[in-house]
Amino acid sequence: MYAAWTVKHKPRTLSEVVGNEEAIRELISWINSWNKGVPKKRAAFLYGPPGVGKTVAVEALAYDLKMELVEKNASDYRTAEAVQRFAGLASQYTTLFGGKRVILLDELDGITGTADRGGVRAVIETIKTARFPVVLIANHAYDPRFSTLRRYCLLVEFKKPTIFQVIKRLKKVCASEGIMADERALRLIAERSGRDVRSAINDLQALAQGRSRLTYEDVAWLSERDRKEVIFNVLRTIFYAKDCVEAKRAIDAADVDPDMLFQWVYENIPYQLTDARDLAMAMEALAKADVYRGRIRATQNWKLLRYVLDLMTAGVAMSRRRSKPSGWVPFRFPERIRWLARTKQQRQMQRLIGMKIRRRMHVSSVRAVKEILPYIRVIFEDNAEMAAGIAKWLDLDEGMIGYIAGSKGRAKAIVRNLGS
Amino acid sequence: MSYEMWAEKYRPKFLKEMVNQKEIVERLKSFVKARNIPHCIFAGPPGTGKTTGALCLAHDLYGEGYREHLMELNASDERGINVVRETVKTFARTRSIGEIPFKIMILDEADNMTRDAQQALRRTMERFTETCRFILICNYSGKIIEPIQSRCAPFRFTYLSREDQHAYLQRVIQKENVKVLDAGLTAIFEVSGGDLRRAVNALQAAASAGKPIDGETVYSVVGRANPADVREMIILAMKGDFVGSRDKLREMILKYGLAGSDIIRQIHIEIFRSDVPERWKIRLADTIGEIDFRLIQGADEEVQLSALLARLTEAGYELKRGV
Repeated sequence: MYAAWTVKHKPRTLSEVVGNEEAIRELISWINSWNKGVPKKRAAFLYGPPGVGKTVAVEALAYDLKMELVEKNASDYRTAEAVQRFAGLASQYTTLFGGKRVILLDELDGITGTADRGGVRAVIETIKTARFPVVLIANHAYDPRFSTLRRYCLLVEFKKPTIFQVIKRLKKVCASEGIMADERALRLIAERSGRDVRSAINDLQALAQGRSRLTYEDVAWLSERDRKEVIFNVLRTIFYAKDCVEAKRAIDAADVDPDMLFQWVYENIPYQLTDARDLAMAMEALAKADVYRGRIRATQNWKLLRYVLDLMTAGVAMSRRRSKPSGWVPFRFPERIRWLARTKQQRQMQRLIGMKIRRRMHVSSVRAVKEILPYIRVIFEDNAEMAAGIAKWLDLDEGMIGYIAGSKGRAKAIVRNLGS
Repeated sequence: MSYEMWAEKYRPKFLKEMVNQKEIVERLKSFVKARNIPHCIFAGPPGTGKTTGALCLAHDLYGEGYREHLMELNASDERGINVVRETVKTFARTRSIGEIPFKIMILDEADNMTRDAQQALRRTMERFTETCRFILICNYSGKIIEPIQSRCAPFRFTYLSREDQHAYLQRVIQKENVKVLDAGLTAIFEVSGGDLRRAVNALQAAASAGKPIDGETVYSVVGRANPADVREMIILAMKGDFVGSRDKLREMILKYGLAGSDIIRQIHIEIFRSDVPERWKIRLADTIGEIDFRLIQGADEEVQLSALLARLTEAGYELKRGV
């Protein structure tokens, strides 16, 4: 089953939370001060950029201190009425089982109103009468709408963790998922996330789920520009469009390179269109789009691009006739690009050998690799003497011989034969 | 046994050594006799003697020093029209020394040139027609623009017949002193399908093991040269595991560098060998043919073959439902 790693690997206790030690210490001492009666500030206002662990810290804290956590986010308290509906929870004297409680109002940025009216005012009223600690979370505490609210709160700033801390967190996730990851790969993910831990873990999952190794090349191809979210939105539009217009609009909606999008659609068709007939139809639409790409290359007539786009968006969308959208199927990174990155060195070597063959055999290096190299490989496996002769004739160096031979032992035998 | 690539070692040097394409060879011989050649297009599938024909023609025309009067360019290696244009210009504009007043430029895989590049080439051909004759080599002449086609004499090469291929292979077999059983020769023809370069490569690879060559040896060599298992890929697709079969495909193309044309040829063979109902074989053959044609035109190998695999998945589904 698919589970988001951000949830699966969420720290449960404070000891697992990365960074922001000072903020957390402040938070703990404030919570503890409730043991000696209601403190001056009945609410703590946690603020900071997304994905730095504000919510996670509160959840872990409640877990460690065995407190009941009542969690509300924006959709629960956008308006005054909504806030009043649960405000009572904060003003009661005891919980049902006599334990301690903490009220968490997350995503405060989404609230309506000001200190005088609407949701913000209701929150202020709630805090004034609170019998339990109230924690507020927002990205920006200095929003003018919160100016009055701030006076009732202990302000606690959460800062971005260091790159090193993000990497450490990613390493932990990799360890428990059984993934061997290059340090450089993780560093790149961390950097690209802008030190947003949540987004970094999401990226890691998309890149590494179901694999045992993650190399730098696996990650490097992802450019800043084609950020996942943008692509995911476009894909969602394409795969769930009801009509052609909607599907085609996906392209206009975002600045996504059509070639890159093509690869994404190509990768995801079989996961989205599970009925065999729909699958065949969608793949054919995409293959036709590819035919038009070829026509553009041949004629340099870019007007034809519109047909490429038609087929890769609407053509794919309209293929869904029997496949039911079965819950939420996560989109996958184009494996093919990953393959290309991973086999890059091999192909580089093949190209060099192809050039050597070309010098001798009147074929293009591309054709040499595809049509002649496979047979040379067989010869290299079976006959070291003949292989040495061919290596000399083609003027291959030892690296090339090693590559073709495929094993150190065979390569050695061939090189030994070179002298004779 | 000699230790270089036999396909090159036994490439015919003179037109009279060519075993196939009889009519074409006759016409080329008449050019030699007249000491003049037009611009030419040699079109046809791989391994049928296009490049060899062009080289032999030059050899017969100029004699031993023919290399000085000849230049070979490969459109898919020489990137960009500017490279082609500059190289061609420098080569084409200087007059040839000797009794024949023109040189020969062989432009291989010309169907990989963009239309713009071809337009530029057309002007070059026109300007230097006095001093240079072009032989354009391609798989598919339809991808050469009309104005060039109309300036060239067209030659259509076809796959070798079984007899022609045997005649040629016998010569190699004798010279190299290898032992090949009849079943081995038949197998070589089946796997090469009249592509002589492939046939000779398969022969040499089979011979390298140093044992008499029977059918089994040939199939095993070709199987090893094309390490991924096409049959398994087909079975996965028809069982409904499209993603699994696509992974196999990727392995073949990206890891082993197999040619799409090879993969599709094998799919074609496998489908007719399989126990798929007869009428389905024909339906699938139609799809395979369409995809093959797109590949010839230079479409993306993996995407096109994936579409074919998806069609196989659909066929497997329909068969299970008993349609």
